[in-house]
Amino acid sequence: MELLCLEMDTNIRARPDPNLLCDDRVLQSLLTIEERFLPQYSYFKGVQKDIQPFMRRMVATWMLEVCEEQKCEEEVFPLAMNYLDRFLAVVPTKKCNLQLLGAVCMFLASKLKETRPLTAEKLCIYTDNSIKPQELLEWELVVLGKLKWNLAAVTPNDFIEHIVRRLPLPEDKLALIRKHVQTFIALCATDFRFAMYPPSMIATGSVGAAICGLQLDSADQSQWGDSLTDLLAKITNTEVDVLKECQEQIERVLVSSLREGRQQQQQQQQTQRGPSGKGLDELDQSSTPTDVRDVNL
Amino acid sequence: MCRTMATHKRILSTLRNGPTRRNLFGPVDREQLQVEYQASIRKDLEEASHRWGFDFISDKPLESSDFQWEGVPGTKVPLLYRSCMFDLEQVESQRAAEVKVSPKRGKVAPPHNEKENIPLSPQRCALRLVNFEKTPEKRENTGLKRKQTNLTDFYQAKRRVVGMPRKSGE
Repeated sequence: MELLCLEMDTNIRARPDPNLLCDDRVLQSLLTIEERFLPQYSYFKGVQKDIQPFMRRMVATWMLEVCEEQKCEEEVFPLAMNYLDRFLAVVPTKKCNLQLLGAVCMFLASKLKETRPLTAEKLCIYTDNSIKPQELLEWELVVLGKLKWNLAAVTPNDFIEHIVRRLPLPEDKLALIRKHVQTFIALCATDFRFAMYPPSMIATGSVGAAICGLQLDSADQSQWGDSLTDLLAKITNTEVDVLKECQEQIERVLVSSLREGRQQQQQQQQTQRGPSGKGLDELDQSSTPTDVRDVNL
Repeated sequence: MCRTMATHKRILSTLRNGPTRRNLFGPVDREQLQVEYQASIRKDLEEASHRWGFDFISDKPLESSDFQWEGVPGTKVPLLYRSCMFDLEQVESQRAAEVKVSPKRGKVAPPHNEKENIPLSPQRCALRLVNFEKTPEKRENTGLKRKQTNLTDFYQAKRRVVGMPRKSGE
């Protein structure tokens, strides 16, 4: 018998499983256990002496870029950030080791979630060889120990389908909404202010922000409007006020991120095109839209 | 996947400075890192010894133990829990790789293999440990047989389960 391998570079995916997505118990279980995987402390006040919030953002942005370049599954980056935050909540870490930690966290998250995980070598190259594969493997053990081997953390991404399915949304917009929600979740993961929020709240807020941002709620304002938030809040048992605040916070972060992105583009356009080569093509866009509908996916 | 890349890149372009491949916070203090690693692993091992009442270094039960330990012949241990179960081909490749190891640590010549996640394979981890003097829970001889699984196994190396087929497409 001859086995033919028809696998391409694309991963074959299972169809959405109605047993998982249409059963309320799954969502309830996720909501019950999600708190177990939150970092225990706001670690910049206490545990960490050398690391500042902006450094977390630097390493997070780098990790996101690596995940994108390597076309990782969407949940790899948020999961890796969950590991990073949980580790930093208990272990005082020097800033020169922060990138190593970020690489280890991606390594673990990728192994947990992907059929073809990132390799140690690849990750080391992304640190510009400032760490060695051997160090990565050693620190993998250290991180695993500190996380008590609890790697199957609940991420905001776990909630997306559960939430989206419970909303009266036009079928043809679902894919677009999912994309936006995933983007917002990734954005939240780069921002420390969201690190202590339960994943369900980030997911719910992101769905709310995506729907509002795409103005899918404007067709029937009277029906959506406030009631969108009410409905969302009900799905994940979040308090309406808290959820509203979370959604607004996400929107603010989005706006400031877009603005900073634009400023940086202008700066870079003024200076040069540099020898770095990579990533410069997107700098050609004359301006970053502030309306999320204009963000071209 | 790449679906959201465009948005990400725009929204999160704030800190983007040049290529993704970059060193963020300067050089790593390797010696310090090694010291911290050894200390951390040792501490984990001590905690495990304490918890399980078992000295994992000498592979013997502690006297003051809440557990009663009992030796089990290796053949009775389920395959999954046996350490270093390579098939012959793998053993061969391990030996081959071993020869390539230069005395300097960290210079492990990766066995050339197309497999994506080869750095995680037990051969290399085992090699690495053998080369370390200080690794406290080291398993000296990465032999084929073992009498009993012990917890240190989990502190050493992830190992591939026997007979696990290669990933298709690799």
